[in-house]
Amino acid sequence: MNWRKLRTLLLTVLILCLIPATRYYQIDVPLLRLLRGSHRVDPLSLHLTGEFVENNLGTEQNPDGSVTVRMIAQQYLFIPNCILIPAGVPVHLRITSADAVHTLAFNGTNYSVKVLPGTISEAQLNFPHPGKYKTTCREFCGAGHYAMRSELKVVPQEQFPALHHEERGNCDAQ
Amino acid sequence: MTRNKLAQRTEKFAGWLSATTLALAFLVGVAATSLLEARDNPPDRVPSNVAWTPETIAAASAGDAFRGLLLAKRCEHCHGAEGFSSVGYTPNLAGIDKLAIWKQLEDFRAHKRLSPVMGPIAESLSSRDVADVVAYYTKLPVFEDPQDNRVFPQNPPGANHAGIASHLVSFGDGERGIPPCQACHGPVAYRPGVPSLATQNADYVLNQLEAFANRSRANDINEPMRTVAALLSEDERHALAEYYGAGLGLQPGSSK
Repeated sequence: MNWRKLRTLLLTVLILCLIPATRYYQIDVPLLRLLRGSHRVDPLSLHLTGEFVENNLGTEQNPDGSVTVRMIAQQYLFIPNCILIPAGVPVHLRITSADAVHTLAFNGTNYSVKVLPGTISEAQLNFPHPGKYKTTCREFCGAGHYAMRSELKVVPQEQFPALHHEERGNCDAQ
Repeated sequence: MTRNKLAQRTEKFAGWLSATTLALAFLVGVAATSLLEARDNPPDRVPSNVAWTPETIAAASAGDAFRGLLLAKRCEHCHGAEGFSSVGYTPNLAGIDKLAIWKQLEDFRAHKRLSPVMGPIAESLSSRDVADVVAYYTKLPVFEDPQDNRVFPQNPPGANHAGIASHLVSFGDGERGIPPCQACHGPVAYRPGVPSLATQNADYVLNQLEAFANRSRANDINEPMRTVAALLSEDERHALAEYYGAGLGLQPGSSK
């Protein structure tokens, strides 16, 4: 093998390695989870048992001060439709889909979470300032996709009421 | 000897007594902890026992329409002989998807949807009866026939609300997050267990929208209707009821 051939081969290998290396941030974690079968939930019986039953959806306060938000994305609504969280605390978002593939995106931020049926998507969020954020679906999911929106209300920490199980996810509860 | 025996007996009795006391105390403790736990973790609120697995859909579709015809004689008085009710607040059953009727009957049976009229009636049906009645009602014709005496639409289209309603039905309201009605209730698209509203009475639609909005009806899986009905204004609910009650629901995107 002469030097020219070796050089071409090395260059090809280098380029082939570079292409995926520049795209590493596009690795689809929810899809990998679905393929691996981890964080598995049954999309058809979310309402019957498990983490995503009705009275468990919405914002839950953890002992360490952070909050956990549980949501369901379905054609063509995010449930609960309005979410209340305190400003400046870590937010653990856990969301799953009941039917199609959706993407929960928070307008005005860089946060977006891909949601697949059959697996739980997780994200660590932080909203430092109080305010209202519109959330939209950014993955075409069907005939009503463009109207699939909900709201996130960030309130100052001292105003964040101690939410009861029954009042989770209710923006008017304050 | 007798004294020894007496002592043995007393000992036995004491042992039995202490064992019973211990067991009782244990039981009381378990009961108390479970009660406390129940207070800390309220039971899951399940809107409906139905989940649309392939087995469920197969069970709901396996009815015998002829047996259903005989059973449905009991339904005629309120829901009409042709599946079109003469009373506005009683739903029409002709033209409603079989999974939709099946789910409502199952929810009435399981007390997930409460009704003083339909509750006892549904309880008297077995799961086979439910599938049979459903099979019969899905076979009823939807379109008008001059020979029968159905009364639909009951009211003429109202001019004042028609614009609001047709916009909501076709496009929804993206700003407020209200999806278009026709994306689930047809004629553009349907989802399992979702009724078509094209042949539904105005009073019934309005009643149900209000019941969903104030959560007195809560049997929709993953609460889509409770959410949407609460987002709609009073005027919009009236407009939608009027729209569907006037038989306009067949218009968007349909061939009729």
